[in-house]
Amino acid sequence: MPDTLFSLYSTLQTVVLERQDDTRFILLTESTPWFCDLLPKACVARETLVLQGISPFLDNFFFDANEVWSDQNAEPLCSGPWVEVNSEGMEIALQADAINQAGKCLLLIQKLGQSYEHQVNILQAARQNLLTREHLEAEIHKRTEQIRLREEEIAMRLLAASGVRDEETGAHVRRIGMYSAAIADSLGWDQLNIDEIRVAAPMHDIGKIGIPDNILLKPAKLTSEEYSIMQGHAEIGANMLDGSDIPLLIMARDIAYCHHERWDGRGYPRGLAGSDIPESARIVAIADVYDALVHQRIYKPAFPEAHAIELMTNQSGSYFDPDIFSVFIELLPEIRRIREEIRENAYSGTPDDHYPYVL
Amino acid sequence: MIQKKICMVGTFAVGKTSLVRRYVSSLFSEKYLTTVGVKIDKKTLTVDNEEVMLMLWDLAGEDEFCEIRPSYVRGSSGYLLVCDGTRKMSFEDAICLHGKISGILGDIPFVMAINKHDLKDDWALSDSDVQKLKAQGWQVVLTSAKTGEGVEQAFKLLAEQIMKQNNTPQREYS
Repeated sequence: MPDTLFSLYSTLQTVVLERQDDTRFILLTESTPWFCDLLPKACVARETLVLQGISPFLDNFFFDANEVWSDQNAEPLCSGPWVEVNSEGMEIALQADAINQAGKCLLLIQKLGQSYEHQVNILQAARQNLLTREHLEAEIHKRTEQIRLREEEIAMRLLAASGVRDEETGAHVRRIGMYSAAIADSLGWDQLNIDEIRVAAPMHDIGKIGIPDNILLKPAKLTSEEYSIMQGHAEIGANMLDGSDIPLLIMARDIAYCHHERWDGRGYPRGLAGSDIPESARIVAIADVYDALVHQRIYKPAFPEAHAIELMTNQSGSYFDPDIFSVFIELLPEIRRIREEIRENAYSGTPDDHYPYVL
Repeated sequence: MIQKKICMVGTFAVGKTSLVRRYVSSLFSEKYLTTVGVKIDKKTLTVDNEEVMLMLWDLAGEDEFCEIRPSYVRGSSGYLLVCDGTRKMSFEDAICLHGKISGILGDIPFVMAINKHDLKDDWALSDSDVQKLKAQGWQVVLTSAKTGEGVEQAFKLLAEQIMKQNNTPQREYS
């Protein structure tokens, strides 16, 4: 090798070796202290060296390098950087290349030095940015969760205030929330909206706070006039929740207003039909009726689930959105699990606002 | 002496290098220094009265800038899957990486190290996150490279699994 090339490789902190066979290489360039550190003993130019076993990383690289050297047309192969520790305990970054040149199988080993440090600095900065971004996203998520929990607490307190008169069990409203969230999840809603319907759905009957006690708590079947007053709870609830720009309360308002609308347009209070009824309200309508049917009410015992499902199936497409009802049916194992998880004591609630419609 | 190659696998900044440093040298530094490429350390331990030298391949963490090369994990007898318990995303990344590594290496022993357990106030994983993995038969160890908690245990557990499943031929370095 000409002297100029010798000194060039030396300047580039690179040693070049020519492969002789599977284990032996001839050093074509001058040796360097860092290269000698890899070897069991010092070496000089033109010396034949055995490189196998000096570095686990190189041994691993030779698996791929041998494929390059066995095919003269193969593209050069770069090992990527690796770090060795020299005899003084200092870390040195190296990189190997397997090349075919003029019929010779060459191995270049380069000490990366500043270029490695530069690479580390760039990657370090990029990863610090990623960590900062990740941290900020986590913080936003945490704060959003805190806000959501506050909204949830406010909603639950509001609900508790109305529940004092309603006496519907807490278990019932919690189940409605959980059923609705499960259905929304199956419908592909995003997590934020799933969390919101879980909290908003229990407020569906919040308007009952505005219904006179003699009707709300009447231990007998309602007259048609009383039933008409009872129906007013949907509008009362909507008015209570109206005018907010909090997404949770907007959804709660939709649900309170529309959970007695029917798919066929024969519901109340506005007679909305089909997709004009907010999806949240269509979900809650199914959840609410199911829970009312399978639990004891003042005028009826708890129905066996099969009977309840039979009744509801007959109303799919008239009372209920048929697509959402299909999803609900598929979810029955999960719905049963929720029922089992949130059990209630003997029911002592109000006259049922669904009963005349469903049956 | 039996030698086994073990890879440290996980996304960036989860503490792979720190775990190796704690295990091999009993040292720890708070400063985050990213790993570029590969660094190999060795540590000898005894498993069932047999001396085993672990060749610990500390691989650069995988992220959008850097991908683990299949050639780096070739010949591994097992791997330590590392995530940072204060970063949920690193936990999900570790699960993805497990799929990737097992796709390359097949079903070989691994242990999941959920690192930085000293930062309990910032912990982002729930018990159920961990229980789900354990229910799938994963060996999960809570570690802290800072305090040393669980570090020896994680590597020992992995070595024991490897020795139990000692049916993969390995290159030996003498």
